[in-house]
Amino acid sequence: MGDTLFEKVWKSHVVVEKESGPSLIYIDRHLVHEVTSPQAFDGLRMSNRKVRRPDLTIATMDHNVPTNDRSLPILDQTSAVQIQTLEKNCKDFGITLFDINSPDQGIVHVIGPQLGITLPGSTIVCGDSHTSTHGAFGALALGIGTSDVEHVLASQTMWLEKPKPFEIRLEGKIKNPHAVTAKDIILSIIKNIGTGGGTGTVIEYRGQGISDLSMEQRMTICNMSIEAGARAGMIAPDEKTFDYLRGKKYTPKNYESLIDVWRDTLKTDSDAKFEKEFILNINDIAPQVSWGTNPGMTCDVTDSVPTPDDFSNGDENQKKGIQKALDYMDLKSGTPIEEIKIDRVFIGSCTNARLEDLIEASKVIKGQKISPNVKAMVVPGSQMIKRQAEEMGLDKIFTDANFEWRESGCSMCLGMNPDILSPGERCASTSNRNFEGRQGTDGRTHLVSPIMAAAAAIKGHFVDVRKMDLN
Amino acid sequence: MKGNIIKYARDNIDTDVIIPGQYLKVHDYAELATHAMEGLDPDFHSKVNDGDFILSGKNFGCGSSREHAPIALSHSGIKAVLALSFARIFYRNAVDGAFLLPIEIDQDAYDGISEGDEIEIDISQNEVKNNTKNQIYKMKPFSEIIGKIIEAGGLFKYKPDSD
Repeated sequence: MGDTLFEKVWKSHVVVEKESGPSLIYIDRHLVHEVTSPQAFDGLRMSNRKVRRPDLTIATMDHNVPTNDRSLPILDQTSAVQIQTLEKNCKDFGITLFDINSPDQGIVHVIGPQLGITLPGSTIVCGDSHTSTHGAFGALALGIGTSDVEHVLASQTMWLEKPKPFEIRLEGKIKNPHAVTAKDIILSIIKNIGTGGGTGTVIEYRGQGISDLSMEQRMTICNMSIEAGARAGMIAPDEKTFDYLRGKKYTPKNYESLIDVWRDTLKTDSDAKFEKEFILNINDIAPQVSWGTNPGMTCDVTDSVPTPDDFSNGDENQKKGIQKALDYMDLKSGTPIEEIKIDRVFIGSCTNARLEDLIEASKVIKGQKISPNVKAMVVPGSQMIKRQAEEMGLDKIFTDANFEWRESGCSMCLGMNPDILSPGERCASTSNRNFEGRQGTDGRTHLVSPIMAAAAAIKGHFVDVRKMDLN
Repeated sequence: MKGNIIKYARDNIDTDVIIPGQYLKVHDYAELATHAMEGLDPDFHSKVNDGDFILSGKNFGCGSSREHAPIALSHSGIKAVLALSFARIFYRNAVDGAFLLPIEIDQDAYDGISEGDEIEIDISQNEVKNNTKNQIYKMKPFSEIIGKIIEAGGLFKYKPDSD
């Protein structure tokens, strides 16, 4: 029997294999940011250990950096301390850092691929659950906690229970790719398999529906694998993958010969077996809008807010959860999604703040103004994306429409910096989590694509973007 | 190990409600603990006692990889979380830092155990005993290395060479 893509990458990185429970695996790349690393570096100091491979470790600051004028001092003292602590740790341990003023600063999962740090067939870890993003390049990319960050810093290895391979196959072709995007596909997948549907697995996304997607869209899909509970998401590399990484700042010198090997090896064998499979036909997929407090609580834009009965499949816990979610979101069952009015729009995050996302959103708003009742902001995923967008004049399109145009960072995705919702505010957000309080205490989040967020900003409520003229 | 139950009868308790993002800048664990479960149950800090256990449904600890989540619970006094299932990163974080025991239980235990019940966890027998109701349930055993890491008192005290 052959191997899946995941099993091939796993086998080539196992240091110690165990019959049951975790095996020790080698890590090729370790990405570090300011929030989940300070205790790990403290731990190294206390045990008098060094970073084993500083050359394989790269750091940036993204979670709590302000997104306003970078020449101003950071007002939040605890954020400033965390940022200074990362600077000191990187200096003390010899780690490359893209600091707040670096032209390469950005969200860690955005800068990895765009700098050519993310490579096919490699193992990548980061103290952040959305590390799964890098799987779009055929890497096994895992989010880890701070103890494991310390373990990888000290040993370049980690203990990992071998996940099971899970095939998700996308069949068909999106009818209106100008309106329906990768975000709608992944939200639709999570709606179907649930937030625990991928627990203990590594998802491999396959099929024509995946091959048709750009690398940036593939990253959006893999990024939200964690929202389905999966350890990671992967996509076998193809010519699009190889073209994307060619000529980046950190692309290896022997890249072309590596591609020759990857082309032959980094794919699931035809006789390999998956432990689980799910098939989604994307022909008629509609724009998705989350209505609840986890990403599985999502429906088509043409639907109405569900009742606890029709969404719970008779599961009592689910039913209670749905009622709580509706109460929190201040939504009534039966309200058409298109009638839900919003207060804020956030276009940003490691899910949807890449150049294509900003281009698609800008097409919707060009020459228009956002609704007078809405406050809207764009937070590019990295400084590089910000520069590229500005060269294309996208910043002007957004600011002319009364969007704020910010510096790069995680921003309102997780509410660690001053970009937060006020209690009760309702936000159309291109981020990945609609958990209670995620974007600010008592804030209400609806997850959507950048196109849907942009359209909601103009209209002041959700709209079916398939009906708009978007070319 | 013996403790009383605080029950949250719902699935998908995420790390953002266990410890909201704004507190990830807090390095003092005692202060962090005062904000544990704040996103879901603002009374948690006043009602939790040292040694208590949390009981909840499926996919406990889903979401962010923040180790602050098990740390905040642990420093509030929580010694174990009993759940129908766990999100994997939370599970690992709980074990790695020896913050608390993640105990996987079945539906019977979940349904049978109520708020305030006194529970005894016996890892050697893989049993969860409800002393209040005089019932015994099976827990899912820990895998070999996870068991050893727990026994050693965390990832950095575990010495693989001794195998």
